Amino acid sequence: MIYLDWASTSLPDRHVLADGADIASDFPGNPSSLHALGRAAKAKLEEARSGILAALGPQKAGAKLVFTGSGSEADAIPLLSLARKASKDGSKPHILVSAIEHAAIYEQLPVLKRFGIETSLIRPAADGCLQAESFGSALRPETEAVFVMALNNETGAIQPIAEIARAVSERAAKIGRRKPRIHVDAIQALGKTSFEPASLGIDSVAFSAHKIRGPRGIGALWMARDLEPLILGGGQEGGIRPGTESLQAAWAFRSCLDKAMASLPARIEAGRALEHRLFEGLLDMGAIPLPLGRRPGDDRYSPFILSVAFPGLSGEVFVRILSEGCPEAPEGIAVSTGSACSHNARNKGRRVLEAMGLPDELAFSSIRVSTGELTGPDDIDAFLAAALSLYKAYRA
Amino acid sequence: MEHKALYLVKVGEILLKLGNRREFENRLKVEIRKRLADIPNKVDYQPGRFFVAVAEERATEAENILSRTPGINGWARTIRAEKNFDDIAKAALAVAATSIAAGASSFKVESRRSDKSFPLDSFEISRELGHLILEANPGLRVDLHKPDFIVNVEIRDRAFVYGNPAKGLRGLPVGTQGRGLLLLSGGIDSPVAGYLMAKRGLNLEAMYFHAWPYTSKEAHDKVKDLARVLAAYTGGITLWTVPFTDIQMALKKGAREDLTTLMMRAAMMEIAHAFATKRGDTCIVTGESLGQVASQTAQNLRFTQFPTDLPVLRPLIGTDKEETITMARAIGSFDISVRPFEDCCVIFSPEHPLLKAELGREKAAYEALGLGPLIEKAIEGIERLEIPFAERITPPSALR
Repeated sequence: MIYLDWASTSLPDRHVLADGADIASDFPGNPSSLHALGRAAKAKLEEARSGILAALGPQKAGAKLVFTGSGSEADAIPLLSLARKASKDGSKPHILVSAIEHAAIYEQLPVLKRFGIETSLIRPAADGCLQAESFGSALRPETEAVFVMALNNETGAIQPIAEIARAVSERAAKIGRRKPRIHVDAIQALGKTSFEPASLGIDSVAFSAHKIRGPRGIGALWMARDLEPLILGGGQEGGIRPGTESLQAAWAFRSCLDKAMASLPARIEAGRALEHRLFEGLLDMGAIPLPLGRRPGDDRYSPFILSVAFPGLSGEVFVRILSEGCPEAPEGIAVSTGSACSHNARNKGRRVLEAMGLPDELAFSSIRVSTGELTGPDDIDAFLAAALSLYKAYRA
Repeated sequence: MEHKALYLVKVGEILLKLGNRREFENRLKVEIRKRLADIPNKVDYQPGRFFVAVAEERATEAENILSRTPGINGWARTIRAEKNFDDIAKAALAVAATSIAAGASSFKVESRRSDKSFPLDSFEISRELGHLILEANPGLRVDLHKPDFIVNVEIRDRAFVYGNPAKGLRGLPVGTQGRGLLLLSGGIDSPVAGYLMAKRGLNLEAMYFHAWPYTSKEAHDKVKDLARVLAAYTGGITLWTVPFTDIQMALKKGAREDLTTLMMRAAMMEIAHAFATKRGDTCIVTGESLGQVASQTAQNLRFTQFPTDLPVLRPLIGTDKEETITMARAIGSFDISVRPFEDCCVIFSPEHPLLKAELGREKAAYEALGLGPLIEKAIEGIERLEIPFAERITPPSALR
């Protein structure tokens, strides 16, 4: 299959997985055990941890990295710590969350509401980019935290995290309150764009390995400031995330991150070239790249992710027929969509595009094409040929 | 068979006339034989009932089959005892114990004896057994009018003892009413409609309209799984899949927007009619319920059924959704029906559908669409899938 769904998950690096598996066999102890076998495993775990911290740029004293079971979990831990705090002191905190967050953040909000936590959703501009001032002006005396993603998974829009953090900080000082915690979901950003948490003025970040050719089942939470987790247990990871640590996955995470950082500039360049190629073909066949007004080489967007509308054809149907294959691409092509054909799901999948003010018709007929390290110009050409022929055959 | 599970099975609708009764029982014999084919069994037929014996390990399967065969009123696990009082008493106490464990507090004993050489007569048997059961169960009392359970004793070539029968489906054996064509979709209603008609003795084959790529393979698989559920009741079923995409597209292009669903249902009925008459099916069955969706107002039903003069049987026409859901859960189709795979892409559903079709006007519009050649092509492309009878209903799929 021709794989153009890297944003959903990356094709793993076999060597990275193998490295992790070897480590698991060679260091089988429980890192929390007091005996020599456990201590040896713990040493390896710390090696992985410091390796990842080093790859994330210069660190201030007190920075921590906690291994989690997924990027979603790394998002959930700071969210749920708010619930713990709210139920403890009976306060009614307020939080700012962007309207374009991933479900890992968005779907938790109704639960937080039951703990008395009120949310203001901050919408992006029509170009899919969040505006720092809109965070500043939404800040209230009771605003405790801000949740914002660094790179949007549907549009590829790179968000101005440092500016947002600055605006929040300045506004907080102006109204005389302590700076709210800022948590950033960098699950798509890592490996696609430069991202150094310590330089951004933020308090925590969520990462995931399987977007950068690592294994599924491991994420990481970078923290500059401590928090009280809701879920307690065996005390591992400094008490922040209970559960026996996966040395195997942590090692693989460190390994794939090193490789991703080393290849980042070259990959971005190659990605831009593919972006150009893709755009040309799409515009030729009457497809509409999103957001409206995006052009290839536009550095507001990552070249690796592109949503594109094919008016007159439902996104879900298009994904289906591309997957099935056609003469131009008999092996089938993998892309994705948030748009769904069913009445119930009709609105759920297109929240991000609609938050940008995109008309329903375009959101409904959009698919997402995302490239990665192994994507070549041939893949783009095959996709364009298949899309052209299928679009012609199936558009209403 | 060493350790046998024995069942007494009661059959027959009370109001059947004598001539019909014979056909009924013959038909039921065929069904039972077919459905028990995979389980080594011995069946002993008598008027109005029969005994089924299977190995103990196959008891649960046999019970499932008995519970899902239309025409059976009830069935009871039976103990076969030697024709001496001690053995019969042991059996009677066991039957009583089971019922008491299930919460019964009153009982009576009914005995029948066709072997007149047995030392005690029916009255004496009942009395003696009654005493023993009371002695062994102090809290229990006798109630000759409305007991919680009855201990039945029959003395024939052997002695048979059994308690209250479990309820069967009742109804008429599948096939006694010929065969009908069920319009089956992935929704909650049509499988229940099929089940209700199977209970009335209608053999069924099912027709599903598939519009790939607008409907997914998962939606098709869902319908196949629903057909498997029905097969457990009908004794096997044929699923006919109609390639409906071209017609769907033609309607989207050519029909007025508020009429698309109605035209689609009329086209489905036209295909169903042609196919059913060719196959010798006597009727069409749908899951329609009055007023449940826009296309199911009385005026709309009149229009959508115009292409056929076969009776369109709608067992759910007066049933509300909650009742239908209760039945769907009971027959095992509900969890499958709620899998999130639609059989009609939302692009084909009008925002504001017409609620009251006018027969003459809409018929003219339908004819003007000239769907004839597309309908013929769809019928030619129909695919057949045989779903054999299986005791096991396919388990519901994993959570999405």
